[in-house]
Amino acid sequence: MAFKIASSPHVGNTLQTAKVMQRVALCLLPGIAAQLYFFGFGTLFQIAIAVITAYAAEAVILAMRNRPIKSTLADNSALVTALLLAIAIPPLAPWWIIVIGTLFSIIIVKHLYGGLGNNLFNPAMAGYVLLLISFPVQMTDWVSPMSAAQQSVTLSYAWQVVFDSASDILLAGHNLAIDGTTMATPLDTLKTDLSMGITTHESLAKPIFSGMAGLGWFEVNFAFLIGGLIMLKLKVIRWQISVGILSALFLCSSFGFLLNPDTHVSPIMHLFSGGTMLAAFFIATDPVTAATSARGRIIFGAMIGVLIYVIRTFGGYPDAVAFAVLLANMCAPFIDHYVRPRAYGHRSGS
Amino acid sequence: MLTLLEQLDKGSLWQSPGGIHPPELKELSNTQAISRLPLAKHFIVPVPQVGEQARLLIDVGQTVLKGQLLTEGNGFLYLPVHAPTSGKVTDIKPVASNHASGLAVLSIIIEADGLDTWCQLNASDPNTLSHSELIFKIKQAGISGMGGATFPTHIKLNTASEIGLVIINGVECEPYITADDRLMREHSHEILKGIEIIHRLLSPQRIIIAIEDNKPEAAKAMQQAISLSNLPANSTRVTVIPTKYPSGGEKQLIQIITGKEVPSGCLPSQLGIVVQNVGTAYAIQDAIYFGKPLIERVVTFTGKNIHQPGNYWLPIGTPITAALERVGFQPSTTQKLIIGGPMMGYAINDTYVPVLKGTNCVLAPSDDEISPDMDEKACIRCGECALACPALLLPQQLFWHAKAEEYDKAASFNLQDCIECGCCSYVCPSDIPLVEYYRIAKSALRIAAEEKVLAEQAKLRFEARLQRLEDEKIAREAKAKAAAEKRQANMKSSDKDAVAAAMARIAAKKAAQSHEVNQPVNTQSDKAVTETTDKKTAVSAAIARAKAKKAAQTAQSHSSAENNPSQAESTALNEQDNITTEVMSQKDRIAAAVARAKAKKAAQNNQANPSVLAVNNVSEMTTSDDVKNDKKAKVAAAIAKAKAKKLHQTGSTDNATEIEPTETHSVIITATNNTVITEKPVTGSKIDATDLDKKARVALAIAKAKAKKSQQKDDKIIGYEDQHPLASRSEVHHNEPISTDIDTESVADVVLNDPEKDKKARIAAAVAKAKAKQLQQTETKNLELALSNAASQADNFDSATLDKKAKIAAAVAKAKAKKLALQADKKD
Repeated sequence: MAFKIASSPHVGNTLQTAKVMQRVALCLLPGIAAQLYFFGFGTLFQIAIAVITAYAAEAVILAMRNRPIKSTLADNSALVTALLLAIAIPPLAPWWIIVIGTLFSIIIVKHLYGGLGNNLFNPAMAGYVLLLISFPVQMTDWVSPMSAAQQSVTLSYAWQVVFDSASDILLAGHNLAIDGTTMATPLDTLKTDLSMGITTHESLAKPIFSGMAGLGWFEVNFAFLIGGLIMLKLKVIRWQISVGILSALFLCSSFGFLLNPDTHVSPIMHLFSGGTMLAAFFIATDPVTAATSARGRIIFGAMIGVLIYVIRTFGGYPDAVAFAVLLANMCAPFIDHYVRPRAYGHRSGS
Repeated sequence: MLTLLEQLDKGSLWQSPGGIHPPELKELSNTQAISRLPLAKHFIVPVPQVGEQARLLIDVGQTVLKGQLLTEGNGFLYLPVHAPTSGKVTDIKPVASNHASGLAVLSIIIEADGLDTWCQLNASDPNTLSHSELIFKIKQAGISGMGGATFPTHIKLNTASEIGLVIINGVECEPYITADDRLMREHSHEILKGIEIIHRLLSPQRIIIAIEDNKPEAAKAMQQAISLSNLPANSTRVTVIPTKYPSGGEKQLIQIITGKEVPSGCLPSQLGIVVQNVGTAYAIQDAIYFGKPLIERVVTFTGKNIHQPGNYWLPIGTPITAALERVGFQPSTTQKLIIGGPMMGYAINDTYVPVLKGTNCVLAPSDDEISPDMDEKACIRCGECALACPALLLPQQLFWHAKAEEYDKAASFNLQDCIECGCCSYVCPSDIPLVEYYRIAKSALRIAAEEKVLAEQAKLRFEARLQRLEDEKIAREAKAKAAAEKRQANMKSSDKDAVAAAMARIAAKKAAQSHEVNQPVNTQSDKAVTETTDKKTAVSAAIARAKAKKAAQTAQSHSSAENNPSQAESTALNEQDNITTEVMSQKDRIAAAVARAKAKKAAQNNQANPSVLAVNNVSEMTTSDDVKNDKKAKVAAAIAKAKAKKLHQTGSTDNATEIEPTETHSVIITATNNTVITEKPVTGSKIDATDLDKKARVALAIAKAKAKKSQQKDDKIIGYEDQHPLASRSEVHHNEPISTDIDTESVADVVLNDPEKDKKARIAAAVAKAKAKQLQQTETKNLELALSNAASQADNFDSATLDKKAKIAAAVAKAKAKKLALQADKKD
């Protein structure tokens, strides 16, 4: 009989792309849970809208591109993009915000560049930046942490805000119904205070900064850190990028803090506030848009860390994760070109 | 800091980058001892080297014995092939090979007789054999690397480099395979005997037997065998290395054991390291101690679709089909059959292929043991492949460029350093068959390189041709230019010179006449002795010079229509100058005149046989001169003329065969050839002229030499005139001053009547003849050189005998010929 022919190797491991993406999604769960706990159920709706939009958009664009729809949807990459974007935007942002962001991420950033593996920019972060620039008001109204507001964002309330009150928010800007539940993020508050001449010390005395890096924010970041460590353990991601980001950010902020504590916040504040941990473990580690070699990844990560610090401290935006990641994405091919490992037998002098 | 030897003795290990840990699954086959299967009925013995480096020693229908040599050859990579069993050769034909390609390879089909009768074996004691004898025996046993690459072992053991370390590879890192494991467990002593021979051949400082830590029994057995071996104490040790694929790769193993990297594109021997497989060591032992050629090996049959997995001694050439039947192979519908391990082995389509020297495993996995066929998905640049790569390559970049068929870029990422271990494909989450891409890219690069070499060769050929043509052109132009310059310089000689020359000539003639009258015979014979510097001589010299000048001038004036002056012309003038400085006796001069006349006539004849008118004119013109000349001179002239004519005739007949010389060189060559050919008839005619007096002979010889020279020139001229008939050319000759020109008839009479015989003259004749011959020889060797050399030579040798005038005439003729040649070139 004739036997089947195949090229070696004939065995392979079973960790495939779909599974990798699935694990990334699962490792997001601790962070999502923390976010739900501290900032209410709004995020749940955002996730639902984002995921549905992402899959729908991907199916349509795949059909238009004449690509296999079912197998491609099954790779779970759209799921991860949707989750990341949904987590990043304010939990009580109106529904169309996340829809616009997701559509932009999937269709333009991902598929117009050639689909999974070919996109230059991180889809979630590109979508986030689009929203941040286009809808700054909606994108900066963050829900107050539970304990601070003394008023929980229930499911029904979240539903109401996200879907029904959209027009109200649009019209009134600051709807009374949500006035008590939203506020600026700690980083935003800090930036505003510093611009008004208040020292960090005075600013940090505000109730929003209770806890180590702002109420709720520290815990959420910590949860993402846990998820990230699990991913490292599962070898879903490698350590280089995360360590690069965190150590660069830590070094820069320590330097600034030691130099001038009045205008610079502590490294802990930097590491555990805003989207630092989410970026370090879930966003910047997107392999498609990162550098590929081990050394290149350390450089790539360090670059993001420095950029986060620079933009947060000197830039016009309170948080800088999205910008930093996109800027580093642009540099990834450049890094890959110049940072190549020495191949076996090419040791100089040997 | 410890030295490498100390580190080796300590068992220090280095880290090899990358690598993977696939399921080992060795327990399937390593629990039972190596056994034997019933002999197959047919054997397929591939002889791929036949036709290239080897030839067959047997024929169809012949009976062979087990171990009998089947081929013979002497190529560098040639390895003998032996019969795996006794039986009859039933066929020699191309059969599908045990190779990923499945391409047919010339194979000997042996029908086993079932007796398995050995041929005569030459057992020996290695201690009684010299190095070369050992190497020869290993080669004759057909031993090649048993790890899979099957590189001839005798080459590896005969390296020119100094070997400090021998690594015996018992790593066997591929999953499933346990052939080396079982061999080490059961035949550790035999392996050590083989290692002893390797030690003798390479005399390394250390021998390391490397075994992965998943084979503790093998390591133990080998350790025990070492203690019982005859190897020097502490020279050999077993180093257990951590289990990781592909630690068994030669380069990886060297890195793990020594921390060194084999430089890209180099052999380990460059580092003083040789790696040999344990199976190879066993085969060496078999070959030396028992004289057994490598005709069987241990093959692991494993996989869940084989009922009796295990290791078996299989004769090389056993069809896999036959072996599979005997181990209870039950194929599934989507069965893959893999030769080698799951990582680097290749799937075969047809099982009627032979077991080869490098076949260490036949894997028949069930469907759940190997990965299902998955569609290739998009690369997500996860970089896992780079982490797994033991060669520290960037497989993803290689893939990117290989897929885009940018093979040069793939090469810039060190594609050639890929060992195709399959680690990258193994870890790829997108199921991309990376190794397959690399293989395609590698072969494309190889083909491109081969084509490039061919193109380069073609280019070199083409450029060489262009260069040659260019050089020829430049040489031609340079020659033309130089000639033009010389001619320009000569043009300075004013008309006054010409007039003076004419005057001088006339005077010289008169003087010569009177002188000859005074000394009719003796002076001629005395030529060598009487080198008197009397006035007459001076006069004659002047005359000669003048004549030469005139001749040159005439030639120039004639050639002025053509703007190509010839180098030779000026050379001729120079020669003339030289000549005139020499002392010339009258006789000489006379002889010279005679010879020149001869030459001229010869030229005339050559060119213008039909132009009788011109000849007549000339003879008419010269009749006055004739009267003045004494008889001797006339005789000589006549003889020479006759000779010249004869010569010319011969030459012209020869010429006739080559009517249309197309190239300058060929013409020149033809001319030379003609001269050579005409030499014999000339000699003949000389013999005929025995009744002629000596003086005449002398003159004859001189004239002959001259005639030859002129003949040459004439031939050339003829050659050109065939192409470019120029009336002016013949005119040039006719118009030249000819002092002695006599009708052939009258000359003959004179000759007959001449009674004088003189010894001196004879001597002179002999000398002249020698000259002529010498001249002739030189000319045949190198025409251009010879023309001037011979003339000067002749002058030096016997200035008296040789006629200056004739020489001049010859030079003129030569110049003419050159001019013609140049012209011809130009027209070309």
